[in-house]
Amino acid sequence: MNMTQNNSAFMQDEDLLYTILADLKRTVREYTTATTESSCPSIRQLFTQLTNETLTMQGELFNLMKQLNMYSTSSSALRQDIDKQIQDAKNTMQKTNQFVSQKLSSIGNGSYNPSFHIPEQPNIHQNHTLN
Amino acid sequence: MQSMQMQAITGKELEYIVDSISNEDLLIKQCAASAATTQNVQIQQALQKYIHTLDQHLNMLTQAMQQHQPLAPAQPQQ
Repeated sequence: MNMTQNNSAFMQDEDLLYTILADLKRTVREYTTATTESSCPSIRQLFTQLTNETLTMQGELFNLMKQLNMYSTSSSALRQDIDKQIQDAKNTMQKTNQFVSQKLSSIGNGSYNPSFHIPEQPNIHQNHTLN
Repeated sequence: MQSMQMQAITGKELEYIVDSISNEDLLIKQCAASAATTQNVQIQQALQKYIHTLDQHLNMLTQAMQQHQPLAPAQPQQ
């Protein structure tokens, strides 16, 4: 029912919505840039609000297109790839913690507690909710 | 809403506002043309809602220029 379309239509629904989605994405990017380059606080607030509202619209349209089977997302990332990236991230965090501790101890802050602690490995093989 | 400090806007900010008005205007026209083309009621309703929001954005951008107009210098400044 959703895909019924007469041949004389200007464009397929899918193409029409994709064009709008692409323009919403571009507009969000431009609003973000405008926000970061604003000098007047009221203009910054305006661009922040417009960024958020445009993001919301883009998300709603994406969900609608997904629901109508007009949008295929890329395939799922493999568990082994995620595991590797988790390990890399832990290494990065550990090195950064050491770096920050070293730098802060040189300015007399001996009791540095990193707010970004390395999380314990969760029970990934039990708790995952994905199908 | 707390009162926000108002300053004269920069040339760059004015350019961003003007570019944003073009973006919003184009999106409104795309949504309207698409709503007129599609047979799908769900899509029509979504697009009508977007037009309403985009129209509000146009008003906000225009109002921002109007509010800052009195603060703008009449002569170029060094």
